[in-house]
Amino acid sequence: MVGHYLKTTALALALGGWATGAMAADPSLDLVEPLAEYKLYVAENTAKLVEDTTAFTDAVKAGDVEKAKSLFAPTRTSYEKIEPIAELFSDLDVSIDARADDYEQAEQDPDFTGFHRIEYGLWEQGSTEGLAEYADKLLADVKELDARINGLTFPPEVVVGGAAVLMEEVAATKISGEEDRYSRTDLWDFDANFEGAEKIYELLRPLIADDEADFTAKVDGNFAAVDEVLEKYRSADGGFVSYEELTDTDRNALSAKVNTLAEDLATLRGKLGLG
Amino acid sequence: MTSPSKGIYLAIAGAAVLAVAGGAAFWYATQRNAGTQTAADQLVTVNATTCEPNAITVPGGRRSFEIVNASDRPIEWEILNGVMVVAERENIAPGFRSTLEVQLAPGEYAITCGLLSNPRGTLTVTPSDEAAAAASEVTLRKFLGPLSEYRVYLVMQGNAAVKAAEALRDAITANDLEAAREAWHQARLPYRRIEPLAYRFSDLEERIDARAAYLAGREQDPAFIGYHRIEYGLFAENRTEGLAPFADALVADLTELAARLKQAPLDPGLLIEIPGESALQIAQGQIPQGENLYAGNDLQDLAASLEGIGKLAGLLRQVVAGVDPALDKVIEQDMQAAEAHLAAIAAEAHPTYGDVPKAARDALAADLTRLSESLRKLQPAIGMN
Repeated sequence: MVGHYLKTTALALALGGWATGAMAADPSLDLVEPLAEYKLYVAENTAKLVEDTTAFTDAVKAGDVEKAKSLFAPTRTSYEKIEPIAELFSDLDVSIDARADDYEQAEQDPDFTGFHRIEYGLWEQGSTEGLAEYADKLLADVKELDARINGLTFPPEVVVGGAAVLMEEVAATKISGEEDRYSRTDLWDFDANFEGAEKIYELLRPLIADDEADFTAKVDGNFAAVDEVLEKYRSADGGFVSYEELTDTDRNALSAKVNTLAEDLATLRGKLGLG
Repeated sequence: MTSPSKGIYLAIAGAAVLAVAGGAAFWYATQRNAGTQTAADQLVTVNATTCEPNAITVPGGRRSFEIVNASDRPIEWEILNGVMVVAERENIAPGFRSTLEVQLAPGEYAITCGLLSNPRGTLTVTPSDEAAAAASEVTLRKFLGPLSEYRVYLVMQGNAAVKAAEALRDAITANDLEAAREAWHQARLPYRRIEPLAYRFSDLEERIDARAAYLAGREQDPAFIGYHRIEYGLFAENRTEGLAPFADALVADLTELAARLKQAPLDPGLLIEIPGESALQIAQGQIPQGENLYAGNDLQDLAASLEGIGKLAGLLRQVVAGVDPALDKVIEQDMQAAEAHLAAIAAEAHPTYGDVPKAARDALAADLTRLSESLRKLQPAIGMN
């Protein structure tokens, strides 16, 4: 113990000055409040996910293609907001949110299930035929997810690291338009990932605001910049227009800001002693 | 004026040596990175159908993996413990590489290898001094998850207590005696779950959980309010008349309690202290004497109390498991024994708690005392002071 203390002290002396900030000390009890608030936020979202998925899958099973299409994107938002936690359960993440690309036989693969399988049926095939079993499975899976998340002690590093994970997710699968390729509702998911990242950042911000004013000013600015571009694509119903309407200029602007945000937010763990 | 001690010079000299060593290590790492080899502990190449190698063994501790995507699709690479993701790198583009650093405890893990339809590989983490040291070290970091989770529990049960008291008030206002009695039973439960911390707000506790036995004027005392005053009306006087003001006050006091619990500062010492203390209080107070004298449903309350203690014990076991596995096991067994014993007594369907024989009460009290003694050992094992 004493030896450990001496080593740490000597190292701190050796690295003195230039390394401060990059190597924060131990995490503080101040993290308890934002971590708890985050779990409450996630719990609200999984409860909403169960409620919305019930309505969505009811529409699918009732054969109402138009209603099901209109509920697809808004239902997904509560999943996309909490993805860093939801994807901790690999079996459910796969059955709820996997893309056709993840399978050898793509859309024809018998294991391809979940939101995107139903999306494929609704938009590519224009029908709810054969979707009932995917609808039942999806509803059962989101209920299971809700129960598992409620019982989970959130790992602090996953929560704090989650802000960057969400922005990386945006950079990799939303800006490219890969995620919702049949429905072109990618901007809904983009916005939800973005909101989920901002939530984590907002909860942690008071812990670093005093010591890291330059950092928070930069991140605040980039969040605002992304928000401003996204707002241009809001539709009258409060949702978003088709991904195809996103201009190249805006796509590039978003891409640059999102990548910078991902890099900056990735330093939160180190700053809060959870490196 | 005193001259600086020898120690300072030694520290400065030591620091200089470390700085040079650090620089050398940095140069070495840079050189290794520049080559085709990896600086990571393990290189993993993911091709179209499999991981190469597909069966990996590393010693426990903080390990790094460099993942090379040699397939023609973007991949994610995950280390799985059952269905839980331990660590992952997402969206590695074809031809790119990515490094992952993760703290690994000894055990068997699976690794994903590109397409979901591809077979998974295995990762065997062997015991090591490094892993043993990491597991046994008590750090504040290990408490952050449990403390946050307990705060969430306080908020959720605090809100549930308010909601249940509102339902009780509504049944009283509607003059529905049977509904009010059932609502009263239910209204106690969330409060009992969070009582290990809630009772510490003594001003509120006196209003919420006052008992006639402790008041000079007993049931007629003006300070007799809260849960038990309502219980007295519903179960001893068999009426709802006159109870509405008490129900309104209970809702208001529980609302204040929920707000305070949400703000209550939690720390490892408190988390360690309250479950053992709570178990002992129940063993010495409620089990021998009973607390719901008019409703006689103490077994229901006791089950809720055990849930609350079990929540705390479960969170603390997450911390103690690596530090003192034997104590972890003892707490699990004592907790299960108390739960099983209580369930067995409840299954005997006693009309009221007064009908539970003394021998059964004594045995249950002994279970709770034993549990509290085990929980008390947490302080020397994982206490931070």
